[in-house]
Amino acid sequence: MLSSASTLRGVKRIAGIVLAVLLIGGVVAAVVAGRYDEDKGTATKTVRMVIGSEKAEYFADPEVVKALAAKGYTVKAETSGSWAMEGLDLKGYDLAFPSSQAPAVELAHRYKVHGTLPRPFYSPLVVVAHRSAAEVLAANGLATLDTEHRGTLKMAAYLDAARHDRTWQQLKGAGKYGELSGTVFISSTDPESSNSGALYLAAASYVANGGRVVADKAGLGRTEPLLQKLVTVQGAQQSSSDAVFRDFVSGAGNPLVWVYESQVASLLAGGQQPGDLVVLYPDTTVNSDHTVVPMTDNGKALAELLSTDAQLRKLAVRHGFRPQGAATEFASATTYLKQELTGVRQAPVPTSAVLHEMARRARG
Amino acid sequence: MIRTRRHLALVAAAAALLTACSSTGKPDPGTSPEPGTLRVLASSELADMAPVLDQVRKDTGITVRPTYMGTLDAVNLLASGKAAGTYDAVWLSSDDYLRLRPTAAKKVVSETSIMSSPVAIGVRSATVQALGWTPADVTWSQVEQAVQDGKLTYGMTDPARSNSGFSTLVSVASALSGAQSALTEADVTQATPRLKEFFKGQQLTSGSSGWLATAYRRRGDVDALLNYESVLKGIPDLTVIRPKDGVVTADYPLSSLAGTPASTREDVRRLTEALRTPKIQREITARTHRRPVVPSVPPATGLDTTRRRELPFPGSLSVADGLLDSYENDLRRPSRTVYVLDTSGSMRGDRLDRLKKALTDLTGDFRDREEVTLMPFGSVVKSVRTHVVEPADPKAGLAAIRNDTRHLSADGDTAIYTSLEKAYEHLGTDRDTFTSIVLMTDGENTTGAKAGEFDAFYRSLGSYQREIPVFPILFGDSDRTELAHIADLTGGRLFDAQHGSLDGAFEEIRGYQ
Repeated sequence: MLSSASTLRGVKRIAGIVLAVLLIGGVVAAVVAGRYDEDKGTATKTVRMVIGSEKAEYFADPEVVKALAAKGYTVKAETSGSWAMEGLDLKGYDLAFPSSQAPAVELAHRYKVHGTLPRPFYSPLVVVAHRSAAEVLAANGLATLDTEHRGTLKMAAYLDAARHDRTWQQLKGAGKYGELSGTVFISSTDPESSNSGALYLAAASYVANGGRVVADKAGLGRTEPLLQKLVTVQGAQQSSSDAVFRDFVSGAGNPLVWVYESQVASLLAGGQQPGDLVVLYPDTTVNSDHTVVPMTDNGKALAELLSTDAQLRKLAVRHGFRPQGAATEFASATTYLKQELTGVRQAPVPTSAVLHEMARRARG
Repeated sequence: MIRTRRHLALVAAAAALLTACSSTGKPDPGTSPEPGTLRVLASSELADMAPVLDQVRKDTGITVRPTYMGTLDAVNLLASGKAAGTYDAVWLSSDDYLRLRPTAAKKVVSETSIMSSPVAIGVRSATVQALGWTPADVTWSQVEQAVQDGKLTYGMTDPARSNSGFSTLVSVASALSGAQSALTEADVTQATPRLKEFFKGQQLTSGSSGWLATAYRRRGDVDALLNYESVLKGIPDLTVIRPKDGVVTADYPLSSLAGTPASTREDVRRLTEALRTPKIQREITARTHRRPVVPSVPPATGLDTTRRRELPFPGSLSVADGLLDSYENDLRRPSRTVYVLDTSGSMRGDRLDRLKKALTDLTGDFRDREEVTLMPFGSVVKSVRTHVVEPADPKAGLAAIRNDTRHLSADGDTAIYTSLEKAYEHLGTDRDTFTSIVLMTDGENTTGAKAGEFDAFYRSLGSYQREIPVFPILFGDSDRTELAHIADLTGGRLFDAQHGSLDGAFEEIRGYQ
């Protein structure tokens, strides 16, 4: 196990580095809710919360605001990087809603929240690829394609290529695409400050550790050289999962990017048809479990509502999240997404302390 | 030896002053926040967004008040903590460099990219033909070859002062080093000889993209410009080429600053949201030639959509600063500058003290191999002292400049034009350096050659000498019309130390030397 001293150091360092990284505007929810409140005068209880930025659009959606108001809630949401929540003073908030279980467990411990933490919805991490890149990966045994826009990334093969600094030029079929040159790598956010980047290391380390979750110093040591490679090859990393996805959409940036499935689903649900996009589900990936840490009774009640209210679940699907329990609700019968996650192994995520240390070592 | 660091520290100190004195003519951002108005620390390239921001103001009621600044200055300002309370948001071409400085990165929240533009090379169409290039297939190696063959010269902005210059430097270094992933120190060292050759082709340098375009048109003998695609698309008769082997792309993230009130962050969020609506994204790409970040809006006509490899930005501060340091002190052509300094009687006292302090501070900023001539004048040129910052012993040259500065004394009348003529004679013709004249005066011309005589003198110079610009600094009681005429005549640019500080003006001119 990690010594408590090094764990503490890791946590402090993270808190120092990240601060409140993502404060995109959860506040809009409050604004819109307020307007609704004036119109109907039904919302009575105000719930204050800190959420991961990827859920900001969900809580800002006028229909979500309406559905919550119908049940008597006005929500005031502020956004923060999920790992950065550990560095915030959450006194006065009703709940925290990070995008991963590990920071939620950490927060529950700190604020002495007991019992099972509700997880209303989740989203697996996927790789978005430009069509050319996906085809070349498939032609070289690093991926398989089910449809024009969907396939599977073979993690072990990909990590092996990364271990050997494989370049696109060495892959057959890459020559006809000028943009495919240099080392083959997946771009992620900075794992020290951002959840999706940390979950990239979680998935990769699970595979590199022989299908076991890394839980101790030996595991950290074993996986460090490869993880360091995965990170340093990228150069400067972005701190927001939105930014890496936008770069991809605008045609700039790396041809392979690690994102939440919900980001793709939300884009598709908005009627956007990104022609040149292939979603590759890693055969071993991790889920981003959006986990509530209720700190008051109001917070607890809201978490319950998010998990059980049919309308709110439906709206979650529209924003690309998968509600717990029923796969059929995730009925995005598109050619881009898998309705059910068959053939996708969900690796457990290391504890918060281990993941912090892993990120620190990987950054070098 | 890393001299850039010392230089960066200095810039940080000067940055706060710079915001006020910047000759971009932007007002001081003030210190008190106003509801509905966002004080934004911005890259100067964003000046072209004014009409779009007007539209956003009509749509949302949010006014953006920009203060333009180079990346490094902005990052230093953020790291120093001095941006807090003065600015609400930051909007640079890219946060890549910012993220390498944890102290600055901590000051920034909610990064949201608004649009994108890759680094490109804009080449005169006649030159493209002469070189026999097919624009879609050109690589950095071909550009390098054309430079080596003496068939291509170019201009670019100063990487230490300008975002576009820095991105260009990273693009060129990554491509020519043959690095397969993010640049390392070893890559830079290994690529140094090639980069040195490449930068021999640089004939123009500038502290801003705007002046670079002006100087390019005036010169007429420079074949190409390296800058963001969006900037190059705005200049007539350039064929804009995104080299096939990769570019660095700016993604213009807009961020709130940490510590701003929730209402301000909400305004920033609303501004961001408005900028990402399809309507505004269409405006942006049509007006500014940048690329949209929402898939439903296609890039404006003329923006080639074939893909390019994205060259990774260095992942560590030591690599980024090392590259910058080696560009300034080793790779680029050195500069030769004559400082024509008014030390007439009216400078006595406080003004002379300020001049001495500004010059002394500036010695922290001179690059290796740089040649600096001090030419103080009153009724006549009082002395001509030339010093070179020798890489083997840079301190000696810098100490000599400081020593000469200490001994400046004020007396006599003001012979501006006679002294300028002496400066041109001193510089002669030299094509292997960036050559320029800085003129600092606190009054009008009172003796010696007259304005008309200087005009005639200038026109009689050979074409190489006519390429030497004069950068006049307005100070004390000097006459704006007189100095603006000198800048226009010689292709220089006027800097204002009447409204700002003398230190700030000297410092800003560094980007043009």
